[in-house]
Formats: sequence, structure tokens, C-alpha cells
Amino acid sequence: MTDLDFRQGGYPAAGPQTTNLADILERVLDKGIVIAGDIKIDLLDIELLTIRLRLFVASVDTAKKAGIDWWETDPALSSHAARNALEDENRELRARLDALEAKSEDMSTSEK
Amino acid sequence: MTERSPRASDTNAMYVYAVCRTEDRLPLDGVPGVSRDAPVRPLSFGALTAIVQTVRAAEFTDEAWQDRLADEPELERYARAHHEVVSAVAAHAPTVPLPLATLYHGEDSARLALTKESARFHTALKRIARHAEWGVKVYAAHVPQKRESSPAEEPNAPAAPPRPAPGAGRAYLDRKRNLQARREQRQEDSLRVAEAVDADMNRIATASRRLRTHGPAAAGDDRRTQVLNATYLVAEHRAAELALLAQTLRERTGAQIELSGPWVPYSFVGEV
Repeated sequence: MTDLDFRQGGYPAAGPQTTNLADILERVLDKGIVIAGDIKIDLLDIELLTIRLRLFVASVDTAKKAGIDWWETDPALSSHAARNALEDENRELRARLDALEAKSEDMSTSEK
Repeated sequence: MTERSPRASDTNAMYVYAVCRTEDRLPLDGVPGVSRDAPVRPLSFGALTAIVQTVRAAEFTDEAWQDRLADEPELERYARAHHEVVSAVAAHAPTVPLPLATLYHGEDSARLALTKESARFHTALKRIARHAEWGVKVYAAHVPQKRESSPAEEPNAPAAPPRPAPGAGRAYLDRKRNLQARREQRQEDSLRVAEAVDADMNRIATASRRLRTHGPAAAGDDRRTQVLNATYLVAEHRAAELALLAQTLRERTGAQIELSGPWVPYSFVGEV
């Protein structure tokens, strides 16, 4: 093999040319065939299962860091975020009520 | 690879990328893989071929992976290197990818473990034969959050706030309620479009999976919200049909629909 011609035509699944990291990560981190056998063989006394589990946990964190967490913050699509929005509104309303009450108290004392 | 050395730095391990069924020479020259120490090469076991690389064990311990995963540029380098090897092989023969960081002590342990799982590889290869994976993402257009300004809300004169007119509180609440109702409406509409797209794609696909949706940073645009991130196993001869359907759905729903592929069927080789 002297050249780098991979000839994309032979089989279909060559992978898109431009791929964003999130697309690749979600596939290479926890997709693909996981062999049951590999967890029985330890590498330098470290169970490979441990590596895989930590890999998975870390991948979730990484995904979050990469911004794959919109459901937690977008009120348009998350009930949790919508609840936050409601809480914010409640807080805002309470503050306005306090201000109004304070003002009406002021007025009633000054009218006396 | 000889006896295991007591010194970790001298020990090698075997990284396994993928498994395919081919007798041909694979186009692996120029594909560096995750290490520069040894070339990516085929390792046959039974009727199958694994794509492997000898790496230094000390560089692939779980601590090393922990550091790597915490470092985004590093993680990207490894993920892309892994993906590049898998894609290069898949361009040549039907291929079952293994996840990032599948490692063994050495050639013998790798061959033993892979041989034990031959049946699963054959099943997966059969399932994905003449198929590719296609990603479909649907985005809801972002509606700018217009701040409805009213005199009562503008703190332009903090010293003497304007006296609210009678009924101002009720009007304020109505406005807030309307805003909430519209938001819920938009949410329902977007999710309905997502479900419709998924249902239509499923009519063409052999199998499908829903993936977690990406946030604005990953999607590379914070003016839109991803409402569907799904992936489909599609027969080769129906790929054109899929692209056409995506176009039809774009026109019918007005939603942004992104098609990515063909991918090596990563999402369809495990237990579907």
C-alpha cells in the first residue's frame, strides 16, 4: 500500500467528512460492541470494567461540559427549567408585592 | 510481547479498534491510531480480523484515561484517532466498531477474548451488512425572548417609582401567563415535529435509536434548540430515499433538519 487512497465508494460507512466532536463522542464512548470478555482480563491489575465505568461517568461530565445539557437550562423544553422559571417569576412577584406594600404603608403614614 | 515486566513503563498492551470480516489487505498505512509507538495492524482470529495496535500500557491506565477525559483537546484527539481507524477499515469492509479504550494485556489475551465473542461479531456483521448509520437532528428555531417593557418594569427613576395604575398587577399576571402559555405551545409544537420526523424516518430505517440531544455549545449555535437527536440504520439502497425524505420534511414542517452520514453503524452493533 503506497498511497492513502481509502476509496470511500467500496462500502458505505466511511463516516461523514465533517463531524462535530459531540457526534463522534456519543458514538465512540458508549456505542460499539462491548465485549464481556475484556472485563475479566485485568491490565496491570486494574479491571477493565473499572476503566469502562469511569469512562462512562466521565463521558457524561464531558458531554455536560461540551454543552450537551440544554434540557437543564432551556425553559422551552425542560420541566425542570420551566419550574425554575416559575420560581423566578414567583420571586419577582413577591419582590414587587413587597415594594407595593411598603409604598402604600408610606402613603398611609404620610396621609395621617 | 514477552513476559510481563514488573516495571509498568516497559509493559505493552493491545488496543483493539474494530472487528471485520476480510481476507484483503486493509488500508491502514497513514492511519496513526492512538499511539506513535507501533503501527495499526490486523490481527486475525478464526474467520475474523481485529484491527489492533500495540501501545505502552503505562499510557493507557485508568488514571491516564481520567486525565485524558478531563482534558477536552486530548479527549478529542483520542476520539478522532479511534474514529479515523474505524472509518478507514469500514471504508474497505463491513466493520463492527469497539468502544474507545478497549484494551488487553497483549496479543494472546486479545485473541482469546475476541474469539470467545466471535458469535456476537458474526451476528452484528450480519445485522449491519449493506447498511449504514445516519444521524438526524431536528432544531426548533429560537424565538428571541422579547422583553415586554412596561413603565412599571423600567427602573429608570428609582428615586420616585411611578405609581401603578389600578389593575396593573392583574395585567402583569395576564402578560406573564400569556408568555408561559406561548412557551408551552412552542414546546409542544417542536416536540410534535420531532416525533413526526422520527416516525417518518422509521418507515425507511431498519432500526433506530434516540440519542441525548445536544446543547447549544455542542450544536455550535445558541440561537436554536435541538429537539431530536436520533440515529437510524438504513439500507444502502435507501440512502437516497432518506435524503429526499429529509428535504420533504424540511419543506413541510419548516424545521431545521440535519442529516449526517453515512456513519459506521456504531449505534447498532451492540444489543439493540
